[in-house]
Amino acid sequence: MNILLTGCSRGVGLEICRVLLEQGHTIYGVARSCPQEFKDLQAQYPERLHYKSVDLSDSEHVKDNIFRDFCSNRVQIDGFVNNAAVAYDDIITNVNIDRLKAMYDVNVFAPIMMTKNVLRNMLLHHTKGSIVHISSISVHTGYKGLAMYASSKGALEAFSKDTAREWGSLGIRSNVVVPGFMPTAMSSTLSEEQRAKIYARTSLKKATSIRSVAETVAFLLSDKADSITGQNIHVDNGTI
Amino acid sequence: MEQTILTIINSIRIAQELTPVTELHTTDNLREDLELTSFDLAELTVRIEDKYGIDIFEDGLVNTIGEIYNKLQQ
Repeated sequence: MNILLTGCSRGVGLEICRVLLEQGHTIYGVARSCPQEFKDLQAQYPERLHYKSVDLSDSEHVKDNIFRDFCSNRVQIDGFVNNAAVAYDDIITNVNIDRLKAMYDVNVFAPIMMTKNVLRNMLLHHTKGSIVHISSISVHTGYKGLAMYASSKGALEAFSKDTAREWGSLGIRSNVVVPGFMPTAMSSTLSEEQRAKIYARTSLKKATSIRSVAETVAFLLSDKADSITGQNIHVDNGTI
Repeated sequence: MEQTILTIINSIRIAQELTPVTELHTTDNLREDLELTSFDLAELTVRIEDKYGIDIFEDGLVNTIGEIYNKLQQ
């Protein structure tokens, strides 16, 4: 399968990339930066891992930056994984409108514009494709300081549900993976005490496995999940 | 160009188990005369864009064959 993946070079995106490559798929990955760990993966899979440096905060030029030359209509897209996101951690009384808009560009507007172009590609090729968005447990369980970030992920979950309804008759599926807290750069600003508190709220009392999140994404992209659409799949160690 | 649009529209009509049309008129309404649904119009848009690089729906709704010809001739 040809999979378009955002935020492919670090954290859970890198692991999704690794799992899909191990399964024999071809990846069209976009990310802002290209750290050594991702370069190692490129060296391992030079034929099937294509990369373009794209800043998704430029949500108005998603079509030109990604779909014009890099992942054009000549590529039949079977799956789209929307993983790229930026965090905005602050209490609500401090909200800054510019930072809020910048976060929504990456977390909401760019994914919607990318889905538009992915659906157009699927329409052109009559592909019964699969779309997977990566959300966050903060949408479902409140955390101090994450209201703005959670609101952007909540928007994605609603968008996915309605994508599933709108395009289901053409065999196109859309689902969301809702990870619990993972030890990634995204949560690196948290103190040990804050992390311990967050893990204590889970049934399994530990950090969510990045590998488990990536394997769930791969499952949702596959035909094994061909009756699953419009769902939010929690991979969160049983956060209650 | 007109022959290409006819071919695209007929490929969509055939997929919807509708009879192909022999010719198009500039006054033909895409929904009422050619019986295209919103999904059919979406496919028409991507096929025309793939061929001519022009998104006919980018700046508003297109209703007739004549309006498509105008967009492509601009």
